[in-house]
Amino acid sequence: MATMRRSPVEKVLWTVLAVLVIFLFLSPFYIAVVNSFKTQLETAENALALPSSLSFANYQDAMKKINFSKSLLNTLIVTVAGDVLIVVCSSMSGHAIARNLNKHIYFKILDRVFLSSIMIPFQVIMIPVYKIFKSMGLINNLLGMIIMLTGISVAYATFLYVGFIKSVPVELEEAARIDGCNQFQAFWMIVFPLLKPITATVAALHAMWLWNDFNISLILLQKDEVRTLTIKQFYFFSEYASDYNMAFAAAIMGMIPVLIFFLLMQKYLVGGITAGAVKG
Amino acid sequence: MKKNLSSFLFTLPSLFFFCIALLIPFFMGINIAFTDWNGVTKDYNYVGLENFIRMFSDSRIVAPIKNTLILAVIGVIANNAVTLGLALLFTKFNGKFGSICRLIVFVPCCLSGVLSAYIWKFIFRFVLSALTGLNSPLGSMFWVLPAIVVIALWNGAGINMLIYYAALKNVPTELVEAAIVDGAGRLAVFKNITLPMIAPAFTTCVTMTFTAMLKEFGTVMSATGGGPARASETISMYIYNNLYTYSRAGYGQAISLAFLAFLILVGNLMTNFFRKREVEL
Repeated sequence: MATMRRSPVEKVLWTVLAVLVIFLFLSPFYIAVVNSFKTQLETAENALALPSSLSFANYQDAMKKINFSKSLLNTLIVTVAGDVLIVVCSSMSGHAIARNLNKHIYFKILDRVFLSSIMIPFQVIMIPVYKIFKSMGLINNLLGMIIMLTGISVAYATFLYVGFIKSVPVELEEAARIDGCNQFQAFWMIVFPLLKPITATVAALHAMWLWNDFNISLILLQKDEVRTLTIKQFYFFSEYASDYNMAFAAAIMGMIPVLIFFLLMQKYLVGGITAGAVKG
Repeated sequence: MKKNLSSFLFTLPSLFFFCIALLIPFFMGINIAFTDWNGVTKDYNYVGLENFIRMFSDSRIVAPIKNTLILAVIGVIANNAVTLGLALLFTKFNGKFGSICRLIVFVPCCLSGVLSAYIWKFIFRFVLSALTGLNSPLGSMFWVLPAIVVIALWNGAGINMLIYYAALKNVPTELVEAAIVDGAGRLAVFKNITLPMIAPAFTTCVTMTFTAMLKEFGTVMSATGGGPARASETISMYIYNNLYTYSRAGYGQAISLAFLAFLILVGNLMTNFFRKREVEL
């Protein structure tokens, strides 16, 4: 697409348009940041203007009311534990499926079942999940949340691993097996280190999805002390609907960790998405 | 044989979590759909196909179906028009400026629907009214769905934009140049070369956006809660409400199964429809 006939006027026109797009996509961030520092009166007067002074009062207020450190900790526990479990489980199952797809019908069926499950919308399992987890005492429990998040993610993560492992030469593992490794050792010592690129993608994508999860936490986390940031903010925003400034401070605090993570991992996130692989 | 056994063991951890979170709930859901379970009590009765028959006489289900379809259709059109447009625009810039543009459009994708909805609620209510004097579209029966599309677009445009961008980058330059040498106009090049070449990306993006919009839940929940007067209640929310508000879990489950059947049908039809129009390189 690179070489089209271009006049300088046209170049300027495209640049102006691109700048406008950037401006449009950034302005919600600007509005959120600016208003998180303002008083209610200032916002009422002009929502777009800069604050008269840089005061962190809203942040302190929000911190107290949202019990920020507790819900941040909950989110961290759930995201990290879920992410590690997803990587460990799905790299192993991905390896087993990729290497045995044509050797035994079991792996073919498993591959098919995992693939079709990606289509299932959350609403179909919402009611039974509530029922099952309630009967097992896993409602309002971070462990239940981790199990659930891992369970709905392994199919897609396995699918990503299968695609990658197919392109990893099998000879290395075979050599390791001949040298006396069992499959477990051969996988973790020889194969897994070779999977670094896809592991980074799987981990980055799922960290983002787990961190932002709304559906499952809405069903499973109904007590305040176990709530993760997203669901906490959901209730916080409706409870303090009129106190925009404090709510924006809460929103910004929730955003910062994701944005930092995003900037660090953007290479892997972009790679994962442009692989044509997007979860609906 | 021994190798098969250890490979089988390798699949067990995934299978364990998959069964608890998806497989067992899925089959249990099929069972619940044939009962009158209210979502709270222990006991329930089997009612046969009653829940499925009820869907056809339920007047409350009409609005969510209509809203979901409208949301999905305008969502798909707006999303793909905008993201393809952005991708085309960004291919005009090589180097730093282009990559910054792509990065900025992608940044909102890492925010949750809850956060995006909250920020936009504020924008619609205060900024829009200050600039144009209009009321928030989220309070209007007519404009609420387009307004939700705007929120979802800001929140999710980056993903499709990246897919289209990657596809556009893969269009061979020689092909475009040859066509230009042959005297083809810009529109002709786009229509006869670019568009067929990026057709696979188009298939992915359209199908993905459509099914994602059909499933839309978090953003609408946070933006409007289904209001005003159920004007933005989606099928997903109706299922949720049947469990938590109307205490009709059995019926909600039946709707969700019908919904799943519809999703699979539409997904496959759309993929087949677009696949036929793709060209092999």
